[in-house]
Amino acid sequence: MADVVLEATGLVKSFGPVRAVDGVDLSVRAGERVGLLGPNGAGKTTTLLMLLGAITPDAGTIEIGGHRLPRQRSAAMCHVGFAAGYLPLPDRLKVREALSVFAGLYGLDGGAARAAIADALERFRITRLADRPCEQLSSGQRTLVGIVKAVLHRPRLLVLDEPTASLDPDVAYRVRQGLLEETATAGTALLVTSHNMVEAERLCQRVVFISAGRVVADGGPAEVAERFGHGDLEGVFLELAGTLEDGR
Amino acid sequence: MSLSWLRIRTVVRRNFVVLWRSPHRWFDLTVWPLVDVVVWGALGAFVAQENDASRAGTPYLLAGIMLFHVLYQSQIAITTGFMEETWTRNLLNIMTTPLREVEYAIGLGLYGLAKLGLGMTAVVITALVFFGFNLAQVGWALVPIALVLLIVAWAGSQFVIGLMLRFGQSAEILAWGVLFVIMALSGVFNPVEAIPGPLQPIARVLPTTHAFAAARTVLDGEPLPWGEIAAGLAGAAVAAAAGLAYVVRMLAVFRRRGYVTRFS
Repeated sequence: MADVVLEATGLVKSFGPVRAVDGVDLSVRAGERVGLLGPNGAGKTTTLLMLLGAITPDAGTIEIGGHRLPRQRSAAMCHVGFAAGYLPLPDRLKVREALSVFAGLYGLDGGAARAAIADALERFRITRLADRPCEQLSSGQRTLVGIVKAVLHRPRLLVLDEPTASLDPDVAYRVRQGLLEETATAGTALLVTSHNMVEAERLCQRVVFISAGRVVADGGPAEVAERFGHGDLEGVFLELAGTLEDGR
Repeated sequence: MSLSWLRIRTVVRRNFVVLWRSPHRWFDLTVWPLVDVVVWGALGAFVAQENDASRAGTPYLLAGIMLFHVLYQSQIAITTGFMEETWTRNLLNIMTTPLREVEYAIGLGLYGLAKLGLGMTAVVITALVFFGFNLAQVGWALVPIALVLLIVAWAGSQFVIGLMLRFGQSAEILAWGVLFVIMALSGVFNPVEAIPGPLQPIARVLPTTHAFAAARTVLDGEPLPWGEIAAGLAGAAVAAAAGLAYVVRMLAVFRRRGYVTRFS
């Protein structure tokens, strides 16, 4: 399928006796916004890190933009932008300098890099932060700058791990709006993890619930909620979290 | 996919920007070389004053500490370049870009060379101004001697980075610690025979020992001892191959065990 950006099949990962990810299949199409959801310890971040080539799976295959990991990791990562709420840009650099470094790593040089940085900052309406040291940014500003870093090279797939965690509602709203605009205008696919189910409903066209390392639901937010007999995704989340507490 | 010169240049540029924005890092480039040269140069001058027979001591000590700085500056530049990514929790950010490990290693190596140039300038000027000692008097023989030391520095930094990948930031101390073990065992200022007997076999297998011995021979006005250089280069090549194999293996362990989460 030509419009599939990410295709992962049969992903398995164990850490010692703990099986963190147990046979996850996941695909994301071009321009699609997918939420990877589930309680703490469900295996979301481990799955993301395998998709990004930062953790080697015990089994399974990953293909991004037609490039197979881990052998073609570098080529695959040209199509991916990644940001996480817990991952700031290097403190000692100014925002523009930090972005310039990542532009270079994504293959943008000189004028093309400067234009891409100016454009991305403008798209997320944070041009005023360009000459501020990263260490002086607030949490919300750091998150926005992190996302700008991830979209500099106009990736086909944007992977975000908890992008709005610990942000005030107004800042989280701005982040969501920026992401919706970005995916709509650039046709970028989005794969996002979140503990905020309201956010997932607003941001994602499709949600994939993981519990105990396995995919337990995959579909539109309303469809998944209905399948579990709940009115919204929060009910699904709470049910799955309870399942984990029961030791299943 | 071939190597990207742009990505390599970016790694070099990133490290220089960090250096520029971190005045405390200039200590390694300015104060430390100055202190070392003054301490060892003054010691040499004092001993020479007390005992006329040891006039050769000052050049020995100065050449020794200056060449030690070739090792020190190179290894510290590379290892702190990597540490900077861990200190700023940037490792996952760069691991998820198209940057390849070999490009990162080349970039850090080039940054190390450039930083070495700056550090050595400080050392050379200090020795020249305060003690009238010009390292250039070793002549072209400096090239193969420095080459041995550079390869060892690169190999040492691979081991330290490998240990950090495997054991986390607690292994940082080794970046500096290993250098001083090498300093003690390599006969930086003295022949191997002056090292305690039980340690001499260890000293003799270290490539750095041969580099420093070669430098002293040249300072004595004799031709470059190619045997020492060959032994040094052979040992350095073995160390480099072992360092590379170790860091590649530790990177595989790092990815397999998910240690990246330690740094994020």
